[in-house]
Amino acid sequence: MEITTSDLGLAARVQHLTKTYGAGAAGVRALDDVSVGIRRGQFTAIMGPSGSGKSTLMHIMAGLDAPTEGRAWIGDTEITGLGDLEMTILRRRRVGFIFQAFNLVPTLDAIGNILLPFELDGRQPTAIERARIDSLVERLGLASRLTHRPHELSGGQQQRVAIARALATAPDLVFADEPTGNLDSRSGREVLELLATASREHGQSIAMVTHDAIAASHADRVLFLGDGRITADHPNQSAEQIAAHMLAAEVAA
Amino acid sequence: MSAPAASLSRIELSRPRAARLGWLRERGMGASVLVSALAAAFGVILVEVTAYIGGMLQSDPFIGDSEMLALVVMILSVLLVAVAMYVAAIVTANTFSTIIAGRTRRIALMRLIGASARSQRAEVTSQGLVVGMIGAAIGLFAGVGFSAVGMLVGEALLGRTPETFTLVQPGVLFPVVGVALTTWLAAWIGSRRVLAVTPLQALGGSVERTHDDEAGRRGKHIGALVLIVVGVALLVAGVMLGLISPLGVVVAFFGGLFSFTGLATASPLFMPPVLRLVGRLFGRGATARLAAENALRYPERSSRMAIGVVMGVALVTMFAVAMESAKALMMRQSEGEFVDDFFAPMDAFASIMMVLVAVSAVIAAVGLVNLLTIGVVQRRRELGLLRAIGLTSAQVRRMVLLEAVHITVAATLTGLVLGIAYGWIAAQSLLGSVPVLPDFEPAGLVYPAVPWVPVVAIVAATALLTVVAAVTPTRLATRVAPVEALAAD
Repeated sequence: MEITTSDLGLAARVQHLTKTYGAGAAGVRALDDVSVGIRRGQFTAIMGPSGSGKSTLMHIMAGLDAPTEGRAWIGDTEITGLGDLEMTILRRRRVGFIFQAFNLVPTLDAIGNILLPFELDGRQPTAIERARIDSLVERLGLASRLTHRPHELSGGQQQRVAIARALATAPDLVFADEPTGNLDSRSGREVLELLATASREHGQSIAMVTHDAIAASHADRVLFLGDGRITADHPNQSAEQIAAHMLAAEVAA
Repeated sequence: MSAPAASLSRIELSRPRAARLGWLRERGMGASVLVSALAAAFGVILVEVTAYIGGMLQSDPFIGDSEMLALVVMILSVLLVAVAMYVAAIVTANTFSTIIAGRTRRIALMRLIGASARSQRAEVTSQGLVVGMIGAAIGLFAGVGFSAVGMLVGEALLGRTPETFTLVQPGVLFPVVGVALTTWLAAWIGSRRVLAVTPLQALGGSVERTHDDEAGRRGKHIGALVLIVVGVALLVAGVMLGLISPLGVVVAFFGGLFSFTGLATASPLFMPPVLRLVGRLFGRGATARLAAENALRYPERSSRMAIGVVMGVALVTMFAVAMESAKALMMRQSEGEFVDDFFAPMDAFASIMMVLVAVSAVIAAVGLVNLLTIGVVQRRRELGLLRAIGLTSAQVRRMVLLEAVHITVAATLTGLVLGIAYGWIAAQSLLGSVPVLPDFEPAGLVYPAVPWVPVVAIVAATALLTVVAAVTPTRLATRVAPVEALAAD
């Protein structure tokens, strides 16, 4: 019997992943035989300079894009080869997303955005989920903002609504793509602390793509990518260590 | 300052012709040419048909010397041409404002490197004139060609052509020139938004504006309300005058024109509540709610596009109701006895008018396609986000179709109500003074009669238009990949 992702203590993993854009001489190899897992209950940062393949890796791991070669799993479900419909439903039920900007549907209020994954599923949250959402709203300090539309919220508040939505379904994995990229440093730090707390105290597995060393220093583990490969994999890095690593990689390139 | 401008215009002049007209391929331009061509063709055909019917009536033994009927036909055709140009102008103005929305980035860049807002607007406006001229020319040829075929068909069916009728009607120049000019005007009105584009918007990351700012529009709405009040007063006056003379319809016509212009201008005030009401009928499902909210996202744009459909529906209904009411009156006159010879040209006239008026609905449908398309284009990121967090392709399709249904249901309901009201007023003001049997006293009250066949046909036709109009935008929307939510911009 094959070893499953959960046997390995992983929330998601990819094996021998390759992604190429275009063909022949003009082709670009964004990912080159990458095998890696995101550990369950951990906050993992994926770092790398522009063009390192970090975004492509995240897109494939989150079921937003298909690899050219290799396999990917979310939990114990292999997602490579899934059809658009199955993939969409899997994202809806088992993956949470936090993007850099434009995270919220502008026509829905905060609570409408938080409940959207359930509504798209055509159901109401169960009592347990309801309690979970209530405690999230409390923890994220959104109680007084629930009926506000996104344009009535500050950037930090919008990002917290996005976090609430991403965590509401208790997904196998939350993917965050530069979640602090559009925020001032104080709101950014708040968001990162909220993510770290979600994984430390509530066992939420989180993968965050960033090129900000300070943001990555909040993570339990930092994966470095360069030229479509994993170049390093370190636990508990300080911002200085990360910056030094990135600088060294830039100089070597 | 003038030296670089001069060298710039030299570059402009030396550019190959194809490149200078390249903007015609832009999204929305083709639709505008189509709209003005439809309106011009419509006007041309109408002038021809009016002349044809005039000739028919003159040679009809029953109603031959009825100058009143000839006058009625004249008034109706002037009204129809005016209304068609009006619908086309509104659709074109809307289309141009959506073209501007699509060009915001480029206009901002031009502003950033030194172009004035006025010169940018002038460029758009002159493009409107070119579009109008192309459309009018196409419409002229299509209209005359269609009329020639119609004349042959008429000859085959009726076995004769009125001797006084010829295809060469100088009157056709009115709709043709009129359409070119109104398209020009519509482009100018629709390009108002150019003035609001700031150079800053060229520097990426500009926040998407979620709500049209309604500030500063109060004045326009007050003007619209004045138009509505004056229009309604004229409508009442027309009905009163109609009790004495059929010329009451002329007064009522201006009343209709004013009140409808007022309603159309103030549509962002009264359409959103109607849209909201219809949105509630869709239920509480996620796609239904998203669709309902989308229709209200740009209340001004949705209202204007809805008003285009309202006009088409109101017009068709108005004619059907006016005709039916007139027929009911004449039934009264003939004491319930059918005079088939008398009603045959009336029915033919009614059908022709209905078909011609339906063209306005087609023009409005082009507007609906534009509205939905621009909505999808501007929300690519949001669609990507929704796809990422779990909206399936089928749900995307349902959402866009529901948006279209939302607008057309609201518009059809409004149009039916307005059409019945205007139709009755038209019949009342035109025929209130017509003497009726038994004692040849003026008719007084003309009972409003709603013919159900045309109403059902209208509902079926708008349903069909909705589905057809949603095809292209739906295809565009389902092509949006979830990754687009992450695109830098």
